[in-house]
Amino acid sequence: MVGGVVILILFALPFFLAQFGKSGEFWIWVTTEMIIMALFATSLNLVLGYGGMVSFGHAAFFGVGAYTVALLMKKAGVNMVLALMAAPCMAALAAAVVGWFCVRLIGLYFAILTLAFGQLLYMIVFQWYTFTGGDDGIHGIPKPEFLGPVNYYLLCLIIFIVCFLLMRMIVNSSFGLSIRIIRENLDRAKFIGINVRRYQLVNFIVAGFFAGVAGGLFTELNRFAQTEFLHWSRSGDAIFACLVGGMYSFVGPTIGSSVLIFLHIFLQQIHQSLVEIWAIFLGLILLGVVLFAPEGLVGLYEKLTGKAKVD
Amino acid sequence: MSPEFFLFILINGLSQGMVLFIVASGLSLVFGVLRVINFAHGSLYMIGAFLAFSLSTLLPSGSLWSFIVLMILVPPAVALIGLGLEIPLFRRIYDKEHLLQLLLTYALLLILDDACRLIWGGDIRNVARPEILAGSIEFLGLFLPTYNVFILVVGPMIALGIWFLLHRTRTGNLIRAAVSHPEMVGALGVNVSRVMTGTFMLGCWLAGLGGVLMSALANIDLGIGMEKIIECFAVVVIGGLGSIGGALLSSVILGVGVSLIQLPLSRFAIVFPYFAMALILIIRPWGLFGKPER
Amino acid sequence: MKGKSLTILSAVLAVLLLAAMAYGQDTIRIGWTADMPGIGATFYSSQKNAIELFIEEVNANGGVLGKKLELVIRDSKLKPDVGATVARELILSEKCDFLIGPTSSAVAKAVTNVAKEFKKIIYFHTSNTEDLTTKDFQPYMFQVVPNTGIEGRGITVFLAKKPYKRYSYIGADYAYAHTQWDAFKGSLKKLNPEAEILDAVWTKLGETNYATYIPTLMAKNPEIIYSSLWGGALSSFIKQAKPYGLFKKASITSLYDLDMLRATGMDMPEGMLGYARCPYYAINTPEMKQFVEKYHAKYNEWPADWACMAYDGLIALTTAIKKANSIDSDEVVKALEGMHFASLRGDRYIRAEDHMANVGIYVGYTVKDPRYEGFLVMKDVVEVPAEDVWLSVEEAKALQPK
Repeated sequence: MVGGVVILILFALPFFLAQFGKSGEFWIWVTTEMIIMALFATSLNLVLGYGGMVSFGHAAFFGVGAYTVALLMKKAGVNMVLALMAAPCMAALAAAVVGWFCVRLIGLYFAILTLAFGQLLYMIVFQWYTFTGGDDGIHGIPKPEFLGPVNYYLLCLIIFIVCFLLMRMIVNSSFGLSIRIIRENLDRAKFIGINVRRYQLVNFIVAGFFAGVAGGLFTELNRFAQTEFLHWSRSGDAIFACLVGGMYSFVGPTIGSSVLIFLHIFLQQIHQSLVEIWAIFLGLILLGVVLFAPEGLVGLYEKLTGKAKVD
Repeated sequence: MSPEFFLFILINGLSQGMVLFIVASGLSLVFGVLRVINFAHGSLYMIGAFLAFSLSTLLPSGSLWSFIVLMILVPPAVALIGLGLEIPLFRRIYDKEHLLQLLLTYALLLILDDACRLIWGGDIRNVARPEILAGSIEFLGLFLPTYNVFILVVGPMIALGIWFLLHRTRTGNLIRAAVSHPEMVGALGVNVSRVMTGTFMLGCWLAGLGGVLMSALANIDLGIGMEKIIECFAVVVIGGLGSIGGALLSSVILGVGVSLIQLPLSRFAIVFPYFAMALILIIRPWGLFGKPER
Repeated sequence: MKGKSLTILSAVLAVLLLAAMAYGQDTIRIGWTADMPGIGATFYSSQKNAIELFIEEVNANGGVLGKKLELVIRDSKLKPDVGATVARELILSEKCDFLIGPTSSAVAKAVTNVAKEFKKIIYFHTSNTEDLTTKDFQPYMFQVVPNTGIEGRGITVFLAKKPYKRYSYIGADYAYAHTQWDAFKGSLKKLNPEAEILDAVWTKLGETNYATYIPTLMAKNPEIIYSSLWGGALSSFIKQAKPYGLFKKASITSLYDLDMLRATGMDMPEGMLGYARCPYYAINTPEMKQFVEKYHAKYNEWPADWACMAYDGLIALTTAIKKANSIDSDEVVKALEGMHFASLRGDRYIRAEDHMANVGIYVGYTVKDPRYEGFLVMKDVVEVPAEDVWLSVEEAKALQPK
């Protein structure tokens, strides 16, 4: 099974990289970040690819998860396990509140409203500096001794796989099917009695939940949380990851997110000045994908190998 | 707060609102006719400001004529850039779903913003106000910058100009017809594509003009594009996508609102546009003067 | 799917091999997390000029401990998480031995923790939050720029001697400004209980248009406006405030560094009370004179405060390396503590308990100087020494992590 081989490689990777001393340690860190961001992008895709709704506010839930871990661990001395469990719950709560307002609208207005709410949350975190540290962020978050680079990578990988499988189960369930029906044909869905708003809200909350997991893990990786985690441009990055990887496939966001992170760092190592045009580079890739390959890398791969589109 | 001071803040806020209106009306117009929400509209505004800066370095500083030259030359330049984007890119997405339009124009925003950074660098720039507009006017014991008053005069003139164009010229009639009944307009043998391109260029022209005006009002840096597009979103959402009158009203509300909130609650003035936008989207999603999305 | 993963994997391997290719072991690599965009841009070029000048000179004289210095720069983009990533990259991939800090205090906090994790010494020359030597203190760092506490309290020492009563404030709504205002308020209340402190005006960070804030500020009728706006933001504010007649009624007290004075040009009103962190024109040590000559000869401009302090930091660092006769971080840290060094500002030392250099602020009044065309400088400049206003050793230690 292809999946099994991939998982084996992923588990073996950090041990392999550890052989390369300091450079290896850097790449272990990068791949850990890739895993976390892949989780984030996949969570967004529940709403984007499967729900057909563009949310520019998803970073807010990532950020809520991040700050939950930061505040609990640094200010309240809570241990890591509890904090990592609390993070997605708080994120889901935030998603419930925001989602309740947003799912009442469709399409363009939904996108703009999620942007507005996302930025509102960003501003609140930014300005409430006595509680959140403002744009300084919260630093020096404790991390258990035994979670060195390799072990933390493995922890994130395990959590990622669990969440990945859970989300896939949800997508393939009858709930997931209803969500896709709503995306394909809203009127028909209503006609056959699906409570569109409730389904979309639940979907939104689930997506927010898993974004919170990613946020929590990211905070522990960096040992700080900062306001930029909630900025709408981070939501934009996740949208790109889904688009580039392929938003109509479940594994697309993971691929897109990893490829983009890798490209960024790779270019930087080749020549500093290449990174200076990264935004243009990214914009051009995006332009190309939107115009010529809206089904992303996975879509391209399937076209090249002649596979039928799996939905 | 004394009544003079209140009036002062009001006038200040109005001049802010005017520049916002000029830029936002472009966005609204483009959406009304082309049904495309151009995320990169703010970037075009920023390009207008930067172009004004570059051109101003070639012209004698402080002269009123130099500034008039900027106002005449820069907006059409931005409109041409818009044309350069419309033909290869926008035309392909007119009939695509909003999701892809948003993403494409966001990609464009990234490219344009970074292109500005490459061309003009990261330093903060600005255009010196023409001497005749650089001072202040004493008003009830308070000093109001002359330039702000200038904007207060130019803004409504532009608004009138747009109204005149849309309601008293043939082109304007075509544009308005295309907004409300695009199929009929096509059926009547009008070159709809040309109407769309023309409208798009007009939208860019307005963005460029806003950029020129702002270049002497405040500073130009690489963040003003993204900042402006969010403000424009707030304007068109509150006012109603496609409605110029709505854009005018909501620009005024936002400009004055932010100014007024400054005094008692300065830290919340910043969230006011987002808050207002969220509120409208919940209560009346198609805005004050808009129509429900088809 | 499998094909995709393998391709990525092989690309990763290729990069690793590239990176693992030996970097010269006979250089001392100094990594710099620089804030290049936006507000950071003008500061960046000043800092870069000075750093490169220092490295060039030192290398021309045989380097340090026989090794040449090599600079590696990464853009931290004023974003802490980017800063943390590139700091890691500099240490792990680029094998840097020492680090130079950024402009933004928020980025500095992130980067100092990375330095601590990997035990690489970093010095701060521009980002000056007091937290770096207190709440976020870690031994592998030192600071050569007067911190926010020294600044905030230092200027109140000066102001308390003057007859001003009504104080207002304008700053961008972010952590750095809040800590400065808090330090200022606290100290002013103690030194001058008669002073009336009016409500602060908070602007949006990165604001370019101050039209709404200026009348609000004026409505409170202050005599002195203290401001944490800096660089381009302060310059814009002053230029935009002038036509409102603000400076006819109040004086603005803020950070008058050279880059800001240059940007504001002749729009800067005369007679404004301000402070600078390292104004070359008011510091008359032979070291400063030499440095200014060299800098001006090479870059055809006068060195901004950041340039001088970035240079100073390298003086301190290389002095410590020579004293320790090693580039091992722990040895160099031991050498740094209590060490005196020939700063451009005179003889200075690094306090052992918090690795803060005893650097004070320079307070003066703006004036047109015929020697400098196109911008104002300060006159009657008085130094407020660090020892008068920095936290005592006990106070600093109380705030440091256990």
